[in-house]
Amino acid sequence: MQDDLLPWLSKYAVWIVLLLLLIIAGAVSEAFLRPTYLFNIVRQAAPIGITALGVTLVMILGGVDLSVGAIISLAAVVCAVVMDGQPENIALALAITSLVGTTIGLANGLLIAFNRISPFILTLAMAVAIYGVTLVYSGGTAKGAPSPGFRDALNMRVLDVVPVLALILLALTALVAAVLRYTRFGRNLYLVGSNSEAARLSGLPVRWITVCAYAASGFFAALGGIALLARAGVSSTYAGRGYEFDVLAAVILGGTTFAGGRGGAGGTLAGVFVLLVAFNLVNIAGLSVSAQLILKGLIIIAASAAYQSLRSRE
Amino acid sequence: MTFSSWLLERLSRHAVFLVLGMLIATAAILHPEFAAPRNLVNVLIQSAALAFLALGQTLVITCGLIDLSIGHLMGLVTVLISDFMQGESWRTGPAILLALGIGAAGGLVTGLLNNLLRVHPLILTFGMLSVFHGIILAYTESSVGLASPQVIWLANGGIGGVPVSLMLVLGVAAVYAYLLGRTRFGLHIRAVGGGEEGARRAGVPVRRVRLLVYIISGLSAGMAGVILAGRLGTGYPNAGAGFELDSIVAVVLGGTSFAGGQGSIAGTLAAVLALGIISNLLNLMEVSAFVQMIAKGLIIIIAILAYQQRMKQP
Repeated sequence: MQDDLLPWLSKYAVWIVLLLLLIIAGAVSEAFLRPTYLFNIVRQAAPIGITALGVTLVMILGGVDLSVGAIISLAAVVCAVVMDGQPENIALALAITSLVGTTIGLANGLLIAFNRISPFILTLAMAVAIYGVTLVYSGGTAKGAPSPGFRDALNMRVLDVVPVLALILLALTALVAAVLRYTRFGRNLYLVGSNSEAARLSGLPVRWITVCAYAASGFFAALGGIALLARAGVSSTYAGRGYEFDVLAAVILGGTTFAGGRGGAGGTLAGVFVLLVAFNLVNIAGLSVSAQLILKGLIIIAASAAYQSLRSRE
Repeated sequence: MTFSSWLLERLSRHAVFLVLGMLIATAAILHPEFAAPRNLVNVLIQSAALAFLALGQTLVITCGLIDLSIGHLMGLVTVLISDFMQGESWRTGPAILLALGIGAAGGLVTGLLNNLLRVHPLILTFGMLSVFHGIILAYTESSVGLASPQVIWLANGGIGGVPVSLMLVLGVAAVYAYLLGRTRFGLHIRAVGGGEEGARRAGVPVRRVRLLVYIISGLSAGMAGVILAGRLGTGYPNAGAGFELDSIVAVVLGGTSFAGGQGSIAGTLAAVLALGIISNLLNLMEVSAFVQMIAKGLIIIIAILAYQQRMKQP
């Protein structure tokens, strides 16, 4: 009995936590469980959630990407500047922003794949450089303006309930889950993550897979920046600062470990929701940003420890 | 080992001193103002807080661990003791004790968690970083308190032209170098860093060594907090952000192996000085703070790459 229970528990733990949190939230405030409010949380979750999907890929591979907060900031600024308040610039802005994010991710991936660098330290350093680039580009102030129509379109509620941003997050999650499950690239990520030496010896192009995963993480972080611009309209230099903590906490909560080889997009999405519902509860309780920071730190530590201990007992 | 490989190994391990020498020469040639005694004293004073952090981090990394939490731990100390001092001279002594106490307590918590939970130290201390930052912001969101004249003197003053902070740094460095090189405890640190299993079989109390190393790291952050309070004159809540990365860079640049087991206190000091000179030179050349950030990120990445190169040599 216990042999079956533990793997099951470690797989669905985050969903159980989410359910418990929602029950608590419902008890605290009835309004919390109304569809409009719930989908509003999904909309709020879009920037973190989309970015976390990319980081999930990297972490399944056994890496980590802490430059995503900086990429989100740069992406929001680039997107707003290229748009410049003109509707006809939207497509160009989205294309350029995605390209910028992917390029940074590519640089991360190449540096990590072809050197024995700690991705933790490398992507932290990359974040410093990206913030510098953003500051030079923006002159240190909020710059650019989202085009009219851009924010309206993404925040519009389909059937008066589901915001478009929320739909995009759900669709991208399904896409990443499908890639992980049904494509060779997805399966290879798990193989490299569980044992990169064995993967290399069995002829997998480990470096190529690594580069692709980091490039995808940069791309998703750029989409996260676009989502942030759409949700909040902010394009200041530090708009995405600290998001790497949210993202890491969500991914780890979702069951994708720092050691690699495990996890998935669904868990990450649940992890993002747990974070967001917890933050909303913290807000309702009248606590502030500082409480959220402490909560995030504790979640990162406690969730890692919990999964580690569940796993070792399996 | 052939002579040339011996020479190569010596050269690469002590490369930082070569780099430092070349930097000083370049700086003096590029900018006449650099060599002015007042500027040199400035470089030393500005490097002191990082020096304390990096000295502690040297022991941590030698022990095969890492501590990302020290930047905000130092910030926490700065905020709390500044608020405690309120510019009053008689509170200097208690404030310093308070600083060391908070630092040691912070390190103790990290160390205990590290022993208790099987979480990778990168993740654990990244979580602690968030927790310490949250505690700071819960305490205050703006600058508080006033450093006492004595603390300001410790950080900025001099005796016969020699900065007090330099003497303090050298004193602590001497103690750490003695600890690491000449005591049984130092031997244990290197043994644990070289390989946990081997150390355990040889009878090294691995858990106690790790706990003590984190406490020393916290204590170092406490000392750095005192100097930082003296430098800033007040408790600025975000003062410690980013210092953790700088300290790691200094340690790795200084020739301490990221893989653990081998540390160089003198190398760390030289690396801290080199980083200080680079930043001072960029300031003298009136490079904008934004561009300096890009430069800093790139220098870190190049430094880590160069270090990786060293790893591949026999």
